[in-house]
Amino acid sequence: MTSAVSAPDRVGTSTANRVELSLAADAQMLFLARLTAAAVAARAEFDYEQVEDLRLAIDELCVRLMNRGPGTGRISLLFQWDGEGALEVSGTLTPGDGPSGHGSRPRPTAGGASDELSERILDALVDDHGEDAVGGTQRAWLRMRRGAHLA
Amino acid sequence: MTSDAEFEVTASEQTALPVLRVRGEIDVASAPEFHARLSDLAGRGPEVIMVDLSEVSFIDSTGLGVLVGAEKELRQDGRELRLVVTRPQIMRLFQLTGLDEVFTVLSGTDASVRT
Repeated sequence: MTSAVSAPDRVGTSTANRVELSLAADAQMLFLARLTAAAVAARAEFDYEQVEDLRLAIDELCVRLMNRGPGTGRISLLFQWDGEGALEVSGTLTPGDGPSGHGSRPRPTAGGASDELSERILDALVDDHGEDAVGGTQRAWLRMRRGAHLA
Repeated sequence: MTSDAEFEVTASEQTALPVLRVRGEIDVASAPEFHARLSDLAGRGPEVIMVDLSEVSFIDSTGLGVLVGAEKELRQDGRELRLVVTRPQIMRLFQLTGLDEVFTVLSGTDASVRT
């Protein structure tokens, strides 16, 4: 993992290949991020295995944002891809009003095991990923290429 | 629709080997219930617990963390957690994370250990 880096902007995309999603930083809402990830991956012509990989990677990215945030706020995801099969996702968690208590924040269930597993999963599934914080905003990003798992 | 609307966990204690059958997606929303049910079953003291993940369509690090925590606690008591995994994408995740080396992974509740 690359840490403390800014969200990259290396994928040259048209506005047609750009999807933005904003959702409450609530565990109950993360299925929307996974659904969007699967749709974007299919649109970018990723194969079945990579669609599943991106779905899981986005879930992990959102969980990491939520774990590092105050427990409330909104997650914004920006998906960008190009015709060459390069895909990039930037996520930000903006603190603010939102759900609190039940379901809003992942609860630790096994000490640091989930964090370590999340790191291993992202390392294995995507080409590059990282996170940082600017002001009160947590940011995370990942990048993957179509067919990279076949190389 | 929410992910945990599809989530279901049921415990079977009909035999000497208790089985926790899980269906749907195990994510940050459903992991607390999964954790509670697994802890409840472990608290009854069986030597071996089997968690059947054959109908699980998605599991993330939070769900895997629940399994890792349970395995560690059971192992400290000299007990064992066994998993049933049949879906290739779920098995692949165990392999990617190295957890296939940690757990006894079976291909069915009455089948042999996966290779």
